[in-house]
Amino acid sequence: MALPSTRARLSDIEKYRAQVLAHPLARGISPDEVREHLAQVPRQRFPRIAYANRGPDPFIQPRGGFPLFEAQHSLTRQLSEAGADFIPLTIDSYTRQNQYDTATELLRRSEEEGKDYLNGYPLVSHGYELTRQLYSDLAKPVSLRHGTPDARLLAEVAIASGIAEIEGGAICYCVPYSEGFPLDRCLLYWQYVDRLCAVNSTEELPIHRESFGPLTATLVPPAIVVAIEVIEALLAAEQGVTSFAVSFGQTGSMVQDIATATVLRALTRRYLEEFGFAAVETYFVYHQWMGQFPVQRERAAALIACSAAIASMISADKIVVKTVDEAYGVPRPEINAEACDTVRYVLRTFRSAKSITSPMIERETALIRSEAESILDEVLNLSGSAFWESVFRAFHMGFLDVPFSPHADNANKLVSVRDANGSIRIADAANVPVSAQNALLEKELLESREDRAAQTYKQMLSDIRLMV
Amino acid sequence: MTDVYKGRVIIGVIGDDIHIVGNRILQLALEESGFQVFNLRTRVRPEEFCQAALEVNADAVFVASLNGEGEYWCADVRRLFREAGLGHVLLYVGGNIVVGNRPRDEVVRLFKQFGFDRVYHQETDISIAIADLQEDLKHGAAQHAGAAQ
Repeated sequence: MALPSTRARLSDIEKYRAQVLAHPLARGISPDEVREHLAQVPRQRFPRIAYANRGPDPFIQPRGGFPLFEAQHSLTRQLSEAGADFIPLTIDSYTRQNQYDTATELLRRSEEEGKDYLNGYPLVSHGYELTRQLYSDLAKPVSLRHGTPDARLLAEVAIASGIAEIEGGAICYCVPYSEGFPLDRCLLYWQYVDRLCAVNSTEELPIHRESFGPLTATLVPPAIVVAIEVIEALLAAEQGVTSFAVSFGQTGSMVQDIATATVLRALTRRYLEEFGFAAVETYFVYHQWMGQFPVQRERAAALIACSAAIASMISADKIVVKTVDEAYGVPRPEINAEACDTVRYVLRTFRSAKSITSPMIERETALIRSEAESILDEVLNLSGSAFWESVFRAFHMGFLDVPFSPHADNANKLVSVRDANGSIRIADAANVPVSAQNALLEKELLESREDRAAQTYKQMLSDIRLMV
Repeated sequence: MTDVYKGRVIIGVIGDDIHIVGNRILQLALEESGFQVFNLRTRVRPEEFCQAALEVNADAVFVASLNGEGEYWCADVRRLFREAGLGHVLLYVGGNIVVGNRPRDEVVRLFKQFGFDRVYHQETDISIAIADLQEDLKHGAAQHAGAAQ
């Protein structure tokens, strides 16, 4: 067994960087020039500085990416004016799949025809020099949002553009997003990205990493989310990342949201400290409901408002917001700006008493904590010459099993449904190592469900459509 | 050999479609109804459905399309099955099988012409298809659209 350790650090990254930067679309990125540029951008572009100066409310981050530079520039300005604290840069699907030629061709067509042929900003095609101009007058962090298994070139271009927050990770950007990208390769490519962030960091101004905890956003038991988030924090710490955010998506149950937040915070610290990474600063991000959204905009607004209140309740450092047009597709900038305003309104108007608790919340917290610990301890016990190999094996063994993942390396055997309270319960853990006692407790809690006699698939269908 | 299952069913999402949620639920639904399911999951090519049906001696194949690629990919599925000597295998298709808003009757007619036995365009109740499958399996191969041609 190989525990998380600095021995896994990619010490000779410069050798690999030379290969990645040889790509014509790297447009001659020079590592030294990038470090000089990062030293010149406003300090507030770095999440660590932003988080250190956060007021009583969680930071707000919308989503958004358009193919054309002008549209992205205008979106950036509108979101910033609407009170977004973090500015998103969402990348198109072709770039995510490393299909840069297609992205470049569709960018050209979008420019010529004035019509969007891409569902995001093709950062690699635009290049770092132009992208720097998107943010020339911006003193807020920019967050790279994508879903890329091999994000080496993308992260190079992002950091060269002055973007200091890179979302993703080997598991969270592969298992929910890809059907066949080999997970072991993904783990190695994300070592590169994590190390790249580390070598572009200074002690005061680190390039920040954030994991994507919602995963498939479909009935993922909190213990699985916590285990994967902790693993990604450890993998990043191995490579020298010193500023890292874990996250999760609104579960659909207030009890479970509060419990998950407590456990996720505690276990991230516990395991980082256990393996000698106490110096890593950790933050905690909450995603508004990532499942199917109601088509009625009034209901969507209500959902957005309630989840903003939960973010406040659980003292999230940042909330990633949805819009009332979520059921319809990519929102217009005005709608996106409105969502920031709605969330800001809730956050400042309904400041919650922190540390809410009840017997129900305490029981849920203890259960998630115990399950996540047993999963993590079993993963750490697996053989391998490096921690990433144990993680890779954990998927093959089904110790880590993400419901509704399209990925071939994911077991897809765990079955989860909601209890009467809306909390996600493990109906069948399959090979996920939860104790017999916890498995029994999960089953007992499921007894509360009114339609417990119905076929599982019918329960699941209604659970997935919970918010609709 | 007596089979404890009611039948063997291949399922998968055709084309370059990666919509996995319905696929997983369909698997559970068929299993809970007593069928043995071989799930080819997402991005499945017509040839792969055919090879899998041959390999496991399938009684039925459920082809899904959620992003509407179905119209393009499904035209030749029945021909492939006949050429492989699998003309008797039941072919069902469901999901959002065409792009855009088209009358359901028209879509059903089109896919029946392709040689599908049952077509469920924008039908959200899985139990209908499962009841149909149980019914179709009571009848002989001669009843199938595919075998009749």
